[in-house]
Amino acid sequence: MNESEESVAAEVAPQPRTGFPGELVGAVLLAALGVYLLVDAGAIAIPNSSNTIGPRFFPYAVGGLTLATGALLAIRVLRGDRGPADDSEDVDLTAPTDWRAVAVIAVAFAAHALLINVVGWPLAVALMFAAVAWALGAVGVVRPFLVGLVVGCVVWIVFVKALSVALPGGVVLEFLTSWF
Amino acid sequence: MAISDLLGGFADAITPVNLFFALLGVVLGTAVGVLPGIGPSMTVALLLPATFVLEPTAALIMFAGIYYGGMYGGSTTSILLNTPGESASIMTALEGNKMAKAGRGSAALATAAIGSFVAGTIATLLLALVAPTLVDLAIGVTTADYFALAVLAFVAVATVLGSSPLRGLASLCLGLYLGLVGTDVLTGQERFTLGVPQLSDGIDVVVVAVALFAVGESLYVASRLRKGSVQVIDHKGSWMTREDLRRSWKPWLRGTALGFPFGVMPAGGAEIPTFLSYATEKKLTRHPEEFGKGAIEGVAGPEAANNASAAGVLVPLLTLGIPTSATAAIILAAFQGYGIQPGPTLLTTEGPLVWALIASLFIGNVMLIVLNLPLVGLWVKLLKIPRPYLYAGILLFASLGSFAVNADPLDLVILLVLGLLGFAMRRFGWPVAPAVIGLILGPIAETNLRRALAISDGDLGVLVDTWFSRVVLLLALLALVVPVVLRAVRGRRATPEEVAREQEEDREVQKAANREGWGA
Repeated sequence: MNESEESVAAEVAPQPRTGFPGELVGAVLLAALGVYLLVDAGAIAIPNSSNTIGPRFFPYAVGGLTLATGALLAIRVLRGDRGPADDSEDVDLTAPTDWRAVAVIAVAFAAHALLINVVGWPLAVALMFAAVAWALGAVGVVRPFLVGLVVGCVVWIVFVKALSVALPGGVVLEFLTSWF
Repeated sequence: MAISDLLGGFADAITPVNLFFALLGVVLGTAVGVLPGIGPSMTVALLLPATFVLEPTAALIMFAGIYYGGMYGGSTTSILLNTPGESASIMTALEGNKMAKAGRGSAALATAAIGSFVAGTIATLLLALVAPTLVDLAIGVTTADYFALAVLAFVAVATVLGSSPLRGLASLCLGLYLGLVGTDVLTGQERFTLGVPQLSDGIDVVVVAVALFAVGESLYVASRLRKGSVQVIDHKGSWMTREDLRRSWKPWLRGTALGFPFGVMPAGGAEIPTFLSYATEKKLTRHPEEFGKGAIEGVAGPEAANNASAAGVLVPLLTLGIPTSATAAIILAAFQGYGIQPGPTLLTTEGPLVWALIASLFIGNVMLIVLNLPLVGLWVKLLKIPRPYLYAGILLFASLGSFAVNADPLDLVILLVLGLLGFAMRRFGWPVAPAVIGLILGPIAETNLRRALAISDGDLGVLVDTWFSRVVLLLALLALVVPVVLRAVRGRRATPEEVAREQEEDREVQKAANREGWGA
């Protein structure tokens, strides 16, 4: 094995799975969801008319299953069992997690949800588009924004004017297209 | 009989307007399915809202095109993209990708496309023949039997898909919980709505599916984006030589024979039959030396199995109303969106609609084989879309689809929260499909259970009253217990040495790849 091959091997070696397992949080949260289901199922009102198992039974069953699954999974994870992270065409499993990109996208998406009824869908979605593209490494923000705006406007015109879907367009776009 | 009904379906489907919608569905389905990171389920989920504005027949005809188109698109991606990785077409990717790298991409695309066409046509014909017979049998199926079928589907989907049964169950539980949120159908009581009025109608299936598939995938890809320029392999070489055809036709037929029955059974759709087909072809081939280096049989068989199972999945969906794959669950949601409940009575109450749908599957298949190979240049362009724009675009359409359902920004907040859940699930190796199936099938299971117990005055014995339910519940129990027992017998799933050895092998493969300049 020569030197360059060695460096290749080091490069593609899977990340050492040390450190705190995130899946443990997932398993504990799942168990907590089970507890919530079991507790809150008791609060579901039962109308007098229901003679057999009413609206509480299935929630109890699902809650129990969820709690058991979460607990078992937590034990498995603590014993060192790790689920293999999902593979996908654009995913580099050896890359470290880019939490910044995830955070930017999540915030941008939440912001666009709140902006839709204020500035209209096309503009809100264009801003989100630009932020997401920027977080994923697109060069500049003006071009992604313009691309997002053009796509957003075209989609809006097609869906609202041709297919009559309810989608707020924003003052400017709705004024400009009010003639058809 | 079935044939005359089917001809009637063709008569409905071959109007200029409906042909246009079939074409639109085929082109949109393929285009979206080609995009990397988007499998057939996500294609269907993303395009579902676009069909809601149409009347039911046109919508379902377009849907048939989207469904088959998404399948075709997925195989193109796995053959031409340098970095395969999608689960349903992973077997196609295995050999198809190698063929493309060896300069035989065109032949790989051709055998995949023609194989899909052959398998799709035969399997759709089987669907048309089997469905009426099964409906006749299903008329006698009781509510308790339905409950048993739903339980079997739950267990099969949770334990068969994904890396471990427990993780499949975790995903199923999440889906069942999401299915509980809303107003109880039988008593009108609100459950788990947290006092939010919009939640009393339940969480929309479109929102859940788009969140788990599209938003979750986008966030996950963003967290580990493959850096560097996108490399699409050139599709070179002749389309299909006589030799290729001679080596392909048997795998096509064998793949169809494997794919259809597995699609019909509640075993999570295409993954098992494609795997079995690959193993079969590897065993039967006269060119064992080519396997692992680009054997055409290894593309032809699994691709046929993939498409045949896609048609098979429609059998339990249309005759029993039981979805057995994530895609089928979304299609069921589409039916419900029109106030149509698939089940044994569907063929009598909505006969013309169903036959038009089946006829459109044939028509879509023909359109795909005619369009696909000539349009491959366009698909290559789609594969080359810069990734920042691609995923920003996916989120744009996710927003459109989810907002268009109720025009309520709260849906987008739910979309984001569930998208983050989908992101976490991908990191932990929890399969997403059981959640979608649990969401759709959970309420069906509950309703049937409660109806059965209402009839029996609360006597639990009613659940095992018929032979049908006994057998089905026993199968469910076996599906749950056998993997656990097997693991106990064989010791742990994989010893550390085995894992180390596997990683070593993977590394060898990667090294070889890098040496030949394929790496990223």
